[in-house]
Amino acid sequence: MIGKSDDIIIKTIARIFVPFLQLYALYVIMHGHYSPGGGFQGGVILGASMALLLITHGYDELKRRLPEGVLLLLGSLGVLIYAGIGLLCLILGGNYLDYSQLSVILGVDAAHARSLGILGVELGVGFTVMAIMYSIFFDISTGGILPEDQRREGRVEGER
Amino acid sequence: MTYLLVGLAIICILGGLFFFATATIGLLRFPDFFTRLHATGKGDTLAVFLCLIGLALYEGFSLTALKIIFIAVFMFLAQPTATHAISRAGIRRGLKPWVKGEERR
Amino acid sequence: MNIFFVAVGMGLCALVFLVLYRAIFGPGVFNRIAAISAVGTKTLIILLIIGYVYNRVDMFIDISMVYALLNFIGCIAAAKYLEMER
Repeated sequence: MIGKSDDIIIKTIARIFVPFLQLYALYVIMHGHYSPGGGFQGGVILGASMALLLITHGYDELKRRLPEGVLLLLGSLGVLIYAGIGLLCLILGGNYLDYSQLSVILGVDAAHARSLGILGVELGVGFTVMAIMYSIFFDISTGGILPEDQRREGRVEGER
Repeated sequence: MTYLLVGLAIICILGGLFFFATATIGLLRFPDFFTRLHATGKGDTLAVFLCLIGLALYEGFSLTALKIIFIAVFMFLAQPTATHAISRAGIRRGLKPWVKGEERR
Repeated sequence: MNIFFVAVGMGLCALVFLVLYRAIFGPGVFNRIAAISAVGTKTLIILLIIGYVYNRVDMFIDISMVYALLNFIGCIAAAKYLEMER
């Protein structure tokens, strides 16, 4: 499942589509408070674009672009952003995730600060969902056995 | 002018509905997997394109119409690719194409 | 014009039920995947038409786009999975 596809049509179309998909995912994340969408949905689209790249271009290319360490780092960074904004509001004297308190450090009025706070929280949610979705897909499709483990054990499978 | 655009939109949407219906009849009535895929692959692509163009014409000149045209271009590239991928998987798994005189599968 | 959109949506729903016959009884998994892909393309148009009926196209267009995109990715992934011989 994670091998390179040997069909040039699918590979070319995936190569053309993936940047647009990621741009659209960023639009969904950023535009979450005007239209349907938000952090979770945009994160799912980002993760799906990564999964499309994985099933068409193979594990080796994806490892070069998005190593597993970076993936874990992104997943935890999103949670940190979410909890950090919430705690910052708590420290500044409001409730948890009470964005209007952020107007002191951002230097804008309360309504604007609320909008910016929601944007920050949604960015964090998007990062986490992207990383976790991609890792769930990766773990299911490999069954937990990486190609380099198989190479180390000396049995190289000709899996497509 | 507005009536002309609305009439064009209605003609496009009805054409799309017609091609959807023919693709569905093909999917139900054709004898084997590859011929059914041929019906839905071609028919649905054209039908989606016609329907989306009709809806964009009805919408007029706006950001929504631009997004609808973007979906149309996306579907025009994506649908044949998906059909190609499924039919290739069928060939790889050893499905034999139907020839005349055989039984329906 | 609203009645026209409702009628087109009803027609598409009827076609979806016809296609579901192939998805349920179709011999083999390949017929089922072809039928589900066809249902996905019809659903995209139905979503847009629901948007026109409720006069909120700007909301439904995003959902429709995501639906088209996930339908494509799901199709490619299912084809890749079925292509592996085991």
